[in-house]
Amino acid sequence: MIKYIARRLIIMLPELWIITIIVFALIQLSPGTFLDQYKLDPSISQETLKAMEKELGLDKPAIVQYFYWLGKVVRGDFGYSFYYRRPVASLIGERLLGTFVLSLYSFVLSWIIGVVLGIVSALKKYTLTDKILTVVAFSGLALPGFFLALVLLYMAARTGWFPIGGMYSPETSRLDVWNAFKDIFWRMQLPAFTLTFGGFAGLMRYMRGSLLDVLNEDYVEFARAKGMPERVVIYKHALRNAINPLITMFGYSLSGLLSGAVITETIFSWPGLGRLTYQALLQKDYYVVMASTVIGTVLLVLGNLVGDILLAAVDPRIRYE
Amino acid sequence: MRKVLVSLLLTLVVFFAFANYLGYDATGKKGGTLILPTLSGPRTCNDTVSKETSSSDVIAMFMSWGGTLIERSAIDGKFYPALAEKWDGPRLTKDGGMEIIWYLRKGVKWSDGEPFDADDVVFTLNEIYTNPDIPSSFKDVIRSTNGYLPKATKINDYTVRMYYPEPFRLALRYLGGMYIFPKHKAESWVKNKKFAEFWTVDAINKKEIVGLGPFIPVEYVPDQYVRFVANPNYWKKTKDGTQLPFLKEVVYKIISSQDAQKLAFEKGEVDIYSQRGTEFRGTEFNYFKENEKKFNITVLAYGPAYGTQFITFNWNNKDEAKREWFRNVHFRKAVAYAMDKKKMIDTLFNGLAVEQWSPVSMASPYYNDKVTVKYPYDLNKARAELKLGGFSWDKNGKLIDSKGRPVKFIIETNAGNTVREGMGNIITAALKQLGMDITFVPGDFNTLINRMLNVGDWDAIIIGLTGSDEPQGGRNVWAIDGSLHFWNLSPKVADWVDPNAYWLPDFEKEIDKIFAENVRILDDNVVKDYWAKFQKLASENLPLIYTVNPLRLFAWRNTIKNVKITMLGGTTWNLDWLWKEQ
Repeated sequence: MIKYIARRLIIMLPELWIITIIVFALIQLSPGTFLDQYKLDPSISQETLKAMEKELGLDKPAIVQYFYWLGKVVRGDFGYSFYYRRPVASLIGERLLGTFVLSLYSFVLSWIIGVVLGIVSALKKYTLTDKILTVVAFSGLALPGFFLALVLLYMAARTGWFPIGGMYSPETSRLDVWNAFKDIFWRMQLPAFTLTFGGFAGLMRYMRGSLLDVLNEDYVEFARAKGMPERVVIYKHALRNAINPLITMFGYSLSGLLSGAVITETIFSWPGLGRLTYQALLQKDYYVVMASTVIGTVLLVLGNLVGDILLAAVDPRIRYE
Repeated sequence: MRKVLVSLLLTLVVFFAFANYLGYDATGKKGGTLILPTLSGPRTCNDTVSKETSSSDVIAMFMSWGGTLIERSAIDGKFYPALAEKWDGPRLTKDGGMEIIWYLRKGVKWSDGEPFDADDVVFTLNEIYTNPDIPSSFKDVIRSTNGYLPKATKINDYTVRMYYPEPFRLALRYLGGMYIFPKHKAESWVKNKKFAEFWTVDAINKKEIVGLGPFIPVEYVPDQYVRFVANPNYWKKTKDGTQLPFLKEVVYKIISSQDAQKLAFEKGEVDIYSQRGTEFRGTEFNYFKENEKKFNITVLAYGPAYGTQFITFNWNNKDEAKREWFRNVHFRKAVAYAMDKKKMIDTLFNGLAVEQWSPVSMASPYYNDKVTVKYPYDLNKARAELKLGGFSWDKNGKLIDSKGRPVKFIIETNAGNTVREGMGNIITAALKQLGMDITFVPGDFNTLINRMLNVGDWDAIIIGLTGSDEPQGGRNVWAIDGSLHFWNLSPKVADWVDPNAYWLPDFEKEIDKIFAENVRILDDNVVKDYWAKFQKLASENLPLIYTVNPLRLFAWRNTIKNVKITMLGGTTWNLDWLWKEQ
């Protein structure tokens, strides 16, 4: 197993390298450069634009720029943001926490709710409970996140129960740790609800479908026939088999932890990586985009690895030797 | 000192000796936190690097409002003493140059307690803004006609002379409004050639920022807020001896969606909604206006704004036929007559806009309504102009030119800007009625700008430019070799323009001359004549055909006092003497 993990991790390096080349090429091929946003400003002269181009290294060929960047990354330096004139690593570091807290919270919530409701829905198939849950799940899938977010914001403004967005308020820094935590937790509820509502619905339908498939298998019938208690049949045999496809999904969805929620972050003014990357993409702040792509890719690859390992742990048929 | 006084060549000598400065007469109560919304956080706190309002708004807090040599009142548009108690000039010198002598206020301290003196001013101009190694857009605006940059010399600790080798009208305005850097903090960064990294946003939390303005940033939480506290050493006092600013704190709350900003204002989480005005939507204006009492706010439309929106044609189109149409002044006049500005105002701005005819902003003292030619919506006049220009209609009613070619082209604008898209639809519909075959295409902004300036494969574009009350700010647009002279880019500026097909009409040469010469004139009445001629030429020849100009919309909580809205200023131009009812 350790050998397998090591092999996967080693393969990751060339994978990452190729992905950085592709992303860099795509950014270069997309029309315009970082300096375009300044070109329509009557107060900025041609000479100033040229000077900025030289200063930021944008006058060099793309290949040179790429290898210059790669050389830095190998030494642990993710480059420099044109826009902020700061190292990319510190920019991302500042926003990592906000994104991580929000994503993790809604990730855990949507998995718990999704799996539990999926099981309930499957066991009570075609009853009223199942139908209600199905309606809820389909609304979750159908309702656009931005719309739900706006409705929630409107509700917050009308009732005054929740603040209008933001993770910290200017008052937060004056509170003690416990009250600051409560403040942030309270502020997290609306964006987390938006993300969870969109997230659990899919999981619930997967769980339901998968469990129903398994419940129709011969060995389940056999277990029931030989008089095994229903509780044991479902939770010990059926569920263990039904969960396999979800574990693969679990691995995939780990990669969304740091990049998932651009729109929700924007509407709720949540300080996250998604917003940073999105803005950087619009402004062609190359190295910020590169760094977040690399982070996203690493998470995707690691998430898959975690998914595979978990799969091996729960399913004795799978062995990686 | 003596030498300077003797070397006067008298054309215009202005000697200002005001006892008071802006805020001297203000009354109010100390304390309170003003909370302002902003769509995005600052990128930098370094003025030479800053290019966008989210950064420059933060920088202004600690460098503007009394942090400059002189200040302009938004009420009367005049300059008042600030860090300079008084000044001599601008006046011509014997050698044909021009100088301004600044007499600095004594006893002013930086927010960290260091004394402010002539060294800071000289350092800022000579080693930062005119340093060839530090690119900044301020350098571009202080350059005189022939490209000279000013030099500062210290006469004594509280007197500075600034000098240009040729007269430059805008020197007082720009040099007087120049942000001053603290020499004791910035000098080492300039010497190490790392000035672009001076005062990044990190500097806020490290408490490194030092200023002469009313508020110093002390806390920055990315994408959440920037907190400023009152500068304990701010030099302004009211006449009864109260130190300004009245407010204890200012917070810029970063609320990245406009819907959320609106709700936050409604709920009282921010005190002023859209202090820049232009982002404010007409529908929201009506909503807030109806609820003024309920939300305890004041809502006001005032204006018009400085910016411009227009349609322009590519005179250097690769297609010879299009080149001929677009260069034909009758064709452009026909388009001007076909522009239904009333409809734009009603449908796109809820009535909160005015028709625009001149390249000079209506808020500018140089705006001259009398000389500006106007083209009220009239399709019959448009048809008459087309006939004058040699166009006619075939039997299907399609417009053809004198050589029988059908008039067909593409109008573009940047997608996502609903106002410009709406303008495009209105213009296109009218031109189709004139028999033109037009496709209207909104596209990506960056691509559009790149094609407009660097590639040249475009026919007509609807776009806008920011403006100010000083027409010279449009030099890059109107000078023949200007980099934004998009309708007729010079082959020297754009390599896609064919020098053999390039054509320069007389009015372009005249406008170029106006932009080159007006800055050498120090008498404002003569300058007014120059700008009158410019407006006449531009509106007669229509290289840019203007659309409409939105009013500036303001909304603030009634607890904020001393708000004075004028044509030149918004809600926060007198931030250092605003106060909040507790």
